[in-house]
Amino acid sequence: MTQECKGCSPEFKVTDERIRRILDQASLFPPERCVSDEQYQARLAKCADCPKLQDGITCLLCGCLIPVVAKWKDRSCPMPGDNRWESKRTS
Amino acid sequence: MTSQGILNGDVRKGVIDKNIYGHFSEHLGRCIYEGMWVGEDSKIPNTKGIRNDVLEALKNLSIPVLRWPGGCFADEYHWKDGIGAPENRKTMVNTHWGGVVENNHFGTHEFMMLCDMLGCEPYINGNVGSGTVQEMAEWVEYLTFEGISPMAKLRAENGRQEPWKVKYFGVGNENWGCGGNMRPQYYADLYRRYQTYVRNYGDNKIHRIACGPNVDDYNWMEVLMREATPYMDSITLHYYTVPGPRWEEKRFATGFAEDEWFETLDKALHMDELITRHKTIMDKYDPNKRVGLIVDEWGTWYAVEPGTNPGFLYQQNSIRDALVAGATLHIFHNHNDRVRMANLAQLVNVLQAVILTEGDKMLKTPTYHVLDMFKVHQDAERLDLSLTDTSTYKYGDKEIPEVSVSASINAEGTIHISLCNLNPHTTSNVSLQLRGVAADNAKMTGTTLTADSMDAHNTFDQNDRVAPKPFTAFKLEAGSLSIELPAMSVTMLELKA
Repeated sequence: MTQECKGCSPEFKVTDERIRRILDQASLFPPERCVSDEQYQARLAKCADCPKLQDGITCLLCGCLIPVVAKWKDRSCPMPGDNRWESKRTS
Repeated sequence: MTSQGILNGDVRKGVIDKNIYGHFSEHLGRCIYEGMWVGEDSKIPNTKGIRNDVLEALKNLSIPVLRWPGGCFADEYHWKDGIGAPENRKTMVNTHWGGVVENNHFGTHEFMMLCDMLGCEPYINGNVGSGTVQEMAEWVEYLTFEGISPMAKLRAENGRQEPWKVKYFGVGNENWGCGGNMRPQYYADLYRRYQTYVRNYGDNKIHRIACGPNVDDYNWMEVLMREATPYMDSITLHYYTVPGPRWEEKRFATGFAEDEWFETLDKALHMDELITRHKTIMDKYDPNKRVGLIVDEWGTWYAVEPGTNPGFLYQQNSIRDALVAGATLHIFHNHNDRVRMANLAQLVNVLQAVILTEGDKMLKTPTYHVLDMFKVHQDAERLDLSLTDTSTYKYGDKEIPEVSVSASINAEGTIHISLCNLNPHTTSNVSLQLRGVAADNAKMTGTTLTADSMDAHNTFDQNDRVAPKPFTAFKLEAGSLSIELPAMSVTMLELKA
């Protein structure tokens, strides 16, 4: 009987290609849900030097993929006492 | 239709081992780091590095036992990486679950401290897949040896003079998969070898746990029981409730329709068949039921929340999860002749978690509330309660029992009856005849957990949308108890003499 190693599955890997595919899904990023390009880049820049950013992609405080969630208006930086973004998160 | 049943208050069916209400914490995603461990320098209020909000919430659950460090991580974990001065501990990549960096700041001492704070037994899972016999033997020596020995000396140098008590020790994890891709014959021999050196030092007596089957791999159970029964105290079983046609097409935790509600509960109830069939094999080799069955990974497994790292296994948790928890715990109760422990996967932020965190925010999930309501069953004696006529919940051409029930009596003589209504649309009526119960002057109170939609859940901004409320829709008279269970609800009744 062949058993699967759950943890080794490629589905759990984060790659640039995977991020690109997510960002290409227009349905996830309707204009009314997204910040401006300038705000998006500003958020990425704020996260880039954050000690809680893992491998340039994952926020260890919320588990989010920063290149994805930085686009969404309703998200905010979860850093305790040091909100590096601006808007309030409502999720 | 009304479900009919009889509660025999004077027919006791054995103790519901409190360890059935155990938990599992793996170095995976944000279960340990950020979920529980933030370090002493964090702005999040903490006690010796453990965040206070999560600690307080977990203490309230009376957690009996906590499994660590994995999971798949266990068979790649080298315990010596996680002792000594934190700044000197190895930073490595956790190759499972997306390959995140592991700095080993949460290690043996921190885990044992957490168990002490929670007042629970530690269940440590050793490394067979990539560890040596010596490494495992030395971990046990480090933890439990009192006197003069190299590992006891090392422990003292790291600030702990006295040995700890460690009762539960797992010899490998999922060795049919991530723990080495072994065949059962090979693992059975390895198990016999490794466990030989899992020594009892002083008065510390270790309960040795063998890696058991995945889901319905009855051959693995057959081989392990045939070859290694005398060498084990318990054997494990892993089963997750995964809605979707295939593993690769898992469904989401919220935003689902009734087809996925039904499918999820139907799959959760499959636990009963799995345990029944594995027990049959165990009975063949261990008719006196000395060996326990430990379901040390169970719960729902969905697609991760949109926008989160897929390796972190972060999922929301709705009233549907509460029903999975309630109905599954009832199945464990019903098999209390063999099921001695179960560990919900996982404690914080991973899979069917009881707590979710985001930065310094925390919420209790609906599953948390079920474990809080059901903790009264811990170490109580199960009472004979069977539904002789049961309503069914139908969807399409399938049907499942609409109601799941269980009852226990504690040392003070208080009876607790827990009930789940799996139907998301309609009230379910239950009528129980109480026999052998002094109900004339008894006082009955109730609590229920329900919601206004199938995927109702708590958020960081609205953390009490799904929370227990007082329940009064019952009538107790002339030895008969009638109950109106709300749609999609988990209810606990207490009958105090």
